[in-house]
Amino acid sequence: MSATSSSYPPPPPYYRLYKDYHEDPNSAPEPPPPIQGSYPLFGATYTTDVVLPSLEDQGVRQLYPKGPNIDYKKELRALNRELQLHILELADVLVERPSQYARRVEEISLIFKNLHHLLNSLRPHQARATLIHILERQIQRRKHAVEDIKRRREEAQKLLKESLQLLDGH
Amino acid sequence: MDIISQMQEQVNSIALIALNTFGTLQRDAPPVRLSPNYPEPPANPTETINTTEQPKEMSAALVQAAKKFDALVAALPLNGGEEAQVKRIAELQAENEVVGLELQKELEAAELELKQVQELFSQASGKCLNLKKPD
Repeated sequence: MSATSSSYPPPPPYYRLYKDYHEDPNSAPEPPPPIQGSYPLFGATYTTDVVLPSLEDQGVRQLYPKGPNIDYKKELRALNRELQLHILELADVLVERPSQYARRVEEISLIFKNLHHLLNSLRPHQARATLIHILERQIQRRKHAVEDIKRRREEAQKLLKESLQLLDGH
Repeated sequence: MDIISQMQEQVNSIALIALNTFGTLQRDAPPVRLSPNYPEPPANPTETINTTEQPKEMSAALVQAAKKFDALVAALPLNGGEEAQVKRIAELQAENEVVGLELQKELEAAELELKQVQELFSQASGKCLNLKKPD
């Protein structure tokens, strides 16, 4: 117990299991399998499932409508307009009632969080589009290679026939 | 830089401009009369020149940044939904398989022919060397 919680813990004692590794590689244990699911690391929990956590998971109110298909352009433009209006409102509050700035600032930060979350949720779409682009390029390159090989084979056949005729003519 | 990163940068710069705007205005604002009991605070002529121009320039910058963000949103290539993309990926994968097989066949045939030609060449050159009479 004290070995794990002291400030300079000694290395784990597993090296003893590999004493005869030179003679018999199978006498040592197999490497541990890759971790699945969630794992603790230096006191914090991480997960192997790479999915963008929704806004509610982070305790942030979602301003744009939920649903399967979000119209990103419309929502982004609406959030931009909301942002501008709130900035104007903040300027107004600072002139008239300066002590009430906190709520306006909170609303502005909420809008920013929503904006960034929307932009982050566009990344999977971008990844798929990149994949499509890569596949198309690869297909094009392969087709060109096939054409190239066919052409050169024909050229080689022609050269061989010519040389054969040349030799037979002698 | 890809468009989503540009949009993220633009959002951050809108935040930065708003921050700078409010900070500068608050810092450079002339003193305000708090109550009728106190006298009117003295106005400084050099400061008043700046304080009338700055809000205009900074709010113009803010509006410009917001317009740029709208332009970026309009430029988003957001054509197909997720299913359309997945379907296209499956199609492209199938086509890639077919073209790959064809390429492999052509490659094998070309390699075979190359070996044959090399064999022929080595035979011909060997016979050529044998025919050449040493002087």
